[in-house]
Parts: sequence; C-alpha cells; structure tokens
Amino acid sequence: MVDSNKWGMVVDIDRCTGCQGCVVACQSENNIPINLEEHFNQRRAIQWIRIERYWEGEYPDVKARFIPIMCQHCGNAPCEPVCPVYATYHNDEGMNVQVYNRCIGTRFCANGCPYHVRFFNFWEPEWPESLKNQLNPDVTVRSRGIMEKCSFCVQRIQRSTRESERDNEVLEDGDRGLNPACVNACASNSLIFGNFNDPDSTVSKMKEDAMQEGERGYQLMENLGTDTNVIYLKKVDESAEVTHGY
Amino acid sequence: MALTRRQFLTLMGGSAGAAVLFQACGLPEKELLIDSPPAMPEDLVSGIDNWYATTNQQGGSSEGIVVRVMEGRAKKVEGNPDHPLNLGGHSALSEAALQGLYHPDRISAPQVRTGARGSGEYREISWEDAIARLSSSLGELDSSNENNKAVFVSNPTGGHVGLVLEKFTDSLGTRHLSYEALETNVLRTALKAVFGTDSIPEFDIDNADLVLSFGADFLSSWVSPTRYARGYGEFRQGHEHRGKLIHVDSRFSMTAANADQWVHVNPGTEGLLAMSIMQVLSSSHPNAVFGDLDVDGVLDSYSPANVANEIGVSVDTINQIAEDFSHSEHPIALGGGSAGAHTNGTQNLKAIYSLNHVASNLGKKGGVLLNPNSPFDGVGAAPPSNSFSEFHRLAEEMKAGNVKVLMVKDADFYYGMTDTVDMKAALDSVPLVVSFGGMMDDTTSIADLILPQHHFFEDWGTDVPLAGPGYQMIGFQQPVVRPFFEHRGSNLGTKGFADILMATAQVMGKDLGLDGETFKEVIRNDAKRLYELDRGQIVSNSFEGFWNGVLQRGGWWDTSYKVDEVPRVENLAGVASPEFGGLDQEFYIQPFISTLGDGSAASLPWLQAMPDAISTATWQTWVEINHKVAEEKGISEGDVLEIRPSNGRVVKALAMPNPAVPPDTIGIPIGQGHRDGGRYSSGRGANILSILDPKLDSENGSLAWAATRANVTTTGEWIRVPKFENTVPEFPRDEHHHIIQITSGDNH
Repeated sequence: MVDSNKWGMVVDIDRCTGCQGCVVACQSENNIPINLEEHFNQRRAIQWIRIERYWEGEYPDVKARFIPIMCQHCGNAPCEPVCPVYATYHNDEGMNVQVYNRCIGTRFCANGCPYHVRFFNFWEPEWPESLKNQLNPDVTVRSRGIMEKCSFCVQRIQRSTRESERDNEVLEDGDRGLNPACVNACASNSLIFGNFNDPDSTVSKMKEDAMQEGERGYQLMENLGTDTNVIYLKKVDESAEVTHGY
Repeated sequence: MALTRRQFLTLMGGSAGAAVLFQACGLPEKELLIDSPPAMPEDLVSGIDNWYATTNQQGGSSEGIVVRVMEGRAKKVEGNPDHPLNLGGHSALSEAALQGLYHPDRISAPQVRTGARGSGEYREISWEDAIARLSSSLGELDSSNENNKAVFVSNPTGGHVGLVLEKFTDSLGTRHLSYEALETNVLRTALKAVFGTDSIPEFDIDNADLVLSFGADFLSSWVSPTRYARGYGEFRQGHEHRGKLIHVDSRFSMTAANADQWVHVNPGTEGLLAMSIMQVLSSSHPNAVFGDLDVDGVLDSYSPANVANEIGVSVDTINQIAEDFSHSEHPIALGGGSAGAHTNGTQNLKAIYSLNHVASNLGKKGGVLLNPNSPFDGVGAAPPSNSFSEFHRLAEEMKAGNVKVLMVKDADFYYGMTDTVDMKAALDSVPLVVSFGGMMDDTTSIADLILPQHHFFEDWGTDVPLAGPGYQMIGFQQPVVRPFFEHRGSNLGTKGFADILMATAQVMGKDLGLDGETFKEVIRNDAKRLYELDRGQIVSNSFEGFWNGVLQRGGWWDTSYKVDEVPRVENLAGVASPEFGGLDQEFYIQPFISTLGDGSAASLPWLQAMPDAISTATWQTWVEINHKVAEEKGISEGDVLEIRPSNGRVVKALAMPNPAVPPDTIGIPIGQGHRDGGRYSSGRGANILSILDPKLDSENGSLAWAATRANVTTTGEWIRVPKFENTVPEFPRDEHHHIIQITSGDNH
C-alpha cells in the first residue's frame, strides 16, 4: 500500500497486433461520439486511443508497424500551462485531467500537445435515441466547443478506489475494475496499467527492467522532456539491420 | 471595524498571496475534483453496476464475455477472464454487440409485407398471427406431403439452438441448409482428412517457437482471432525466446504485417509451397518423422527447383523455411482464408496441415491439440456449412417452383451469393419467404413475413466452440438484459429464436421431443446432465449451486478431458495448380475481411468507423492497389475504379494505393454494398462477393472466392476516402527519437 498513486501504463509494441480492439472498447466506455464518414473526411474523428500504422520499404520487402497512442499523461505536460482557465491540469495522482465544464475551447492545449491526442468537439455529439441507452452514466457527454482526451478511464479509478475504501479492501494491482477499458480489451496483453508509486506493481517492475541500458523501454518523443507516464517497449525485429525505427 | 484604504490593500494582498501559496501546495485538488465531472465527486450518486457472463457466437467464433448492466441497460462489454478461449481479452465485434442491441433500426414486432417485395413496406402483426401464418403454410405442405418443399436456411448453428432447429426441421421433414458467405467447409474437409476430425483444433501458439501460417489472417479475422492474439502476445514476449512468425500469403494482411517474414506467393500456390517444404525435409532429413503420413513417391515432383517458379518464390526461400521449420522445437503450421479459396483449396490445406505430422506436434505443448466431443450427445459444435454448389442447386430448385416456403435465420445469402446465381429471380419464385431477422439485411428485405428474434444479449443459448481450447467445454449464453422491446407487450416485440420454433411446433401439434416447455427449461434440464457428470470446474453439492456457477462463470469446462489418441490420417496426396476465371484479366482479386466480417456486422457504426489495419480506411469499399502500378496507370487515392471480371459484372470502389500490394493483385474488403441493413450500411460501398466468378473447389464444391481475375478502369470520378491516416507527408523526425523504436532483439 502506498500513500499516493501515480497511474501509468506500459505498452509493449512487440505484442501489439494492431487489431483496434482497444479503440472500440474506449469508444464504448467513454461515450465518444460516433465517427461518421464525414468526420474522417474532415479530419475530425475522435479516438482517445488510436493505432498508428507506419510503412517501411515497399513490395516485396515491406513492413507495416503498429503502435497504440493515447494521452501520455506527461509529468511536464505542454498542454497544461497554455490553458487560460485551468481546464487542463495535473492531478495529484500523476494524471493529466480535463475539466470539461471549465473548458472554453481555445484549443491552445491541442496546439501544445506533441502527441495529437487532444480532440475538439466541433459539433454537439448526436446519437439516435435508442443508442443512448448504451452511454456510460459514469462519463460526461461532452458538448460542442470543448476539448476531450484520454483520461486513463478516471471514472474506473474513482469507482474502484471508492468501493475498495468503502469495503476496507486493498485495491489489487491489475484489478480489472481499475484498469482502463483499452487494457482489459487487449487480447495480446500489450497494455499494462498500474501504479508507478508502488514498487511492487507490475508496471513499476516492467519500467525498472525496461529502462535499463540495452533493454526495450523508451518514452515517446522523450527528447521533448515531457516526462510521460506511458512507457513503450520497443518492437523486436530480428531480421532488421534497422535498429532505430521511425 | 472600519478599514482604512491601506489596511484593505494589505489584507487583499495577503489573501492573494495566500491563494498563490495555496495553489502551489496543491491544496485545491479537492476543489477541482468537485468541478470535474469526469472525476466523479464524492457527493455524486452513481448507480450500482452488475456484470453478467454470456457468450458471443457472432461471426462463427466463440468469445466469453461479461456485460456491464446498470438500471437494466447494457453499458459495456469486456472479455470473460475465466473463459478458456479469450481469458479476458475481447474483440471489437463483441464490443459492438451493444450497438446491435440498441440499434435504432431493430425490428420491434412481427411484420407482414404489404407492398412489393423489396419495397420495405410492412405492417405490424401480433406474434399469434405471425406464428399462425407460418404454421398454416407449413401445415399445408405437411398435409399434401410436400414437406420437402419447405427449406430452412440458417447460419451454421451449434449448441442448444442448433438442437432445437434440428428437431424442428426433422419433425416437419423440411430440408435444412447451413450458409456461410466464406465457407469453413474447405478447412473442415481438409482437417477431417489430416486429423480425422472436422472440428478446428486448438493451436497452442502461446508455447510455439515457430508459426508457419498460409493465407490465414488469424490475428485479424480467421476463426478465433481473439484467442490467437492472446497466444501471439505470449509467443512474442511471454518466454525467454521470442517466437518467429512466417506468414505465406498472396496479400499483405494484418497477420503478414505482424510476421517476421512475409512470403508472397502467387495466389493458390500455398499448398505447393507446403509440399515443397516437405520434399526438402524428406530428402535432406532422411530420418524425418512423418508420423502416419505416407508420402511415398508423392513429394518427388515438388522439389524447390520444380515448383519455385510457379509459386513465385526463390529456391533459397523454400529451403530457408524448411530449415527454420525443422530446426524449431515447437513449430505449428496452419492455413486457411485465401489459401483455401481456390479451385485447389482443399488440396492446399491438406498439404499445409500435413506439415504438423512432419513436426510430430500433435497433442504436444506448443503444437496442435485436437478437441474432444461435446459433453452432450446431440448438442455439438456448428455443423459444416453447405457448399456454394448446393446453394446454387437450391436457387435452381427455387426458380423451378420446387420451394414453397423458405425460412431464413442469420443467413444473408441474397447478399453473399454471386450474381451469376441470380438469387433475386430464385427468391421471386418462392411464394413465402420467412425471415427471423432482428434487423433488416438483404435477404430479410424481400421477406413476406418477419418474425424478429431477440438479440443474443436477450436470449438463452449454449456454445460448443468449433475451435475449442483443446479440452471439453461448453459456453453458456444467458439474457443479460430484459428484451428491449418488452414494453410493447407479449404479442409484439421480439422473441427468442428457439422459443419461436417451439411455439410454432406446438401450434402445429408437433412434438419436438425436447425436455422442457421453454428454451430456458431445455437448457436448464440439460445442465442437469452436465451436473451429473460430476466433473468440470464447477464444484457444487446441489444442482442449484451448479447452475448458478455455470451462469456466473459463463460456461463449463473440464481441463483434464482431452483427446489422447493420434488419429489415423489419409495418405498425402498431390496438389494441383489453381485455376482462375478470366485469364486475360490483369489482376487477381483478393477479397478480404476487414472490420465488417462477412458483411453481417456492417450495420454497426463502431465497426464501420474502425480503421482497417492496413489502409486505415473506414465506411467505404476501397481497392488496395500497388502504389507504383497505380502511378503508371495514373490512378490516385480516391479515384473511383471499375472492377470488371470476365463474367461481365462490375463494381465501383475507391482506389487506395499502398506499397505492400503485389503488383498483379488488387485487394478489396468484403462487407459493404448492402441493399438494406439499416441506416449505417444501406447503399454504402460495393459488394465484391457479387461479381466473383463461380469457380469451385475441385473436391467439395465450395466457392473459390479468391479465384477471380479482373481488369481495372478509371471512371473519371473522385471521392475522398474516409481514412484515419494523415493526408500530408509525415514531418521528418529526429533520427534518435522515433515514434516506433525497433531493436534487433539480441537479448530477447
């Protein structure tokens, strides 16, 4: 048991198949508006977690590589200081949190984010009446004119923390009620979630091992000094002289 | 107390300073929580959620799921962590079942057609009326001894729904055919020949060190992708030595993208390659164990030098794959998809699966584990589907007026059959078409009578997986919510499919010989037989406890009940060369499953909006074409292309060049082009299945759906491809800080 939490994730891209199971699980959990054809055409589709695909080479010596990208919950988040109304701020559990009812839609944060994981609601979200039955009552539906992004499914953290406190139980590492929706969905276990402040948690151990010299850990665009809470594990390609990537 | 101006300013300055200090210490956190709806403040009352276990059998694969239900509404699907096949992970298809449940275009009551066929004009009728209409039509055939003029077409249905369906058709003497757009027939015929059983074995990818796959896009759409993805994760990083994946395919699929080595072969030559690998092993390793496989003389003509040219790979590559295969401790060979979708499909797959005998991996860790039979007599996995040829014959019979009543459940053959069969004319010749569809699809749209079945979240069922976990198991499906249209009363709304059949049989005075008045009772009474076996993972001293246990856990399984015997197998036979429709056409058409399955998931907006793994395209039908070929032909992304096979048919789709497409091939996703199917799929994109040549598998008459060639022409039109990837070139990146970092993995 630790006094304070620092939530984070480890993403093993050597396990990821690019199946997009996480993407749809996130949309279901977080009441993300349906991305219609015109939203893709306008480049305004919303995906809090996405799979990016990169090409290398061409037929017949060709590779395609996949990487899941979500909000990195930066320790030094470029999105935070630019918000004039403190709608985006760092909470005391290491997460970058978006307060929807403060947001006035300047979109400065989206400009500041190097990972392109912040999304602006250009329209009032719409669902046919019957599909509204599926909406998650724990998650606010965002209105037109405000920003949204991956919250590490903060509603699950809140609910499971509250329930474990109520029942006087210790919240186990890897508890499926605590895990974000994407993590539970991932069949190949590419995504692992947990508390970096707990030295015994799976993510802490993975991070410690992975960040040693010669091991597979890295942070996305770590040269920017964003100090992310998401650790990636490198793709392994035994055939490649390529040892760098994209 | 009166304040002087100076005192006032001092106080204000102090409090402002205090506020700054306050914030710097991080104290306003609690305040911010209160302001933050996503963080759920303490005083916000949230509902109580319940998670119910059930089974998803859509699309032919079995996935154990748990559904989060709040205030009677299903909110979220997750994988059942106890289910032997997926152990907690789940597919996008399972998640999107929520949208099927609450789809705005669900049919909310029985309907009878009032306008012309296909006009979509229907009138609601009561269940009493609907069942009376069906039973009187069937009764007329019964009394005139024309029972065989009633035909039931369903998806391949196993479990207890399959049992009720079989009893229903048997008692009425109606014919029953199982339909799949992309048949697993070829696969099952080959498996029967090679492993002695037509159920799909468990591939222990988790513990393999080499997976050699041929055509099967097993990480994306083939058989049981969630289960295989689970194995893939362990295969890559679960052990000290990272497994190697070699994928042989004539298209660059998602599995090819994940492979360490993608071996591009000419379409339909996958079996030749498998034979050639065996030839290398038998000649260079004279003591190679071929198990019961008799290869005498069969392999001689498949030496790499003889066949490399036809396959389209180098002799060295064949030797290298054979070398990798023979040096692995736990190799697995599997095949399917396009490798089985040629005129020589069954032969291809027989050769491919025979490699497992060479590897002697049957029943071993990291190998191929055969599945035991179902614990219930008479309740098994889904039967093999009927072949394309049989459906072609059925269409001819329909045209000849020999089918009077056609009943259809979850089988959209009006969509999936090629236009050469002219299913429209066939359906027009049937006086009564009855659909049990809960949503419109192409076939339901021409039905005269619709008896809408429950969504599977509202209904009972059991599931004996076709591709089981290598030991005996049966999944349980239970209603997780009350029927959505319950408010319409018991004479309207939807009903469980098996219950509809049982009610119809009752009205007709037929005894189905089932143990129970309702479908739930039938399942519950059969569960007693399971309980009496006194084995499996649910231990209880009362049946009530056992029943609750199987429902809570999502099923019953006995990990110790496995197949021990190595089956007798047929001798290895030769593999013929594939034949194609339209040899003068320029490109091989490679239809493939993207995000919409065989088209049955096209009504679900999450899946429509889910980017295709390779192209990132959504919502449309596109044509994968080699980027250099496209450039030579002056084709750019979004150009509307006409795809013309030699049979004179044509579809239009959007050009989507990419660098991985073989120059002589075009890839086109299956799933769009529905005449009807609700607001998210009707009239969208094109149906590639409709223009295929009716080339058949030489052994079992299945459609060789990858055996069509076509020419491609531009139309001058352009439509923006709705895709997820960016439209501008990527920014150059710092050479030391890449998005995807790669290591040669010396230590892994």
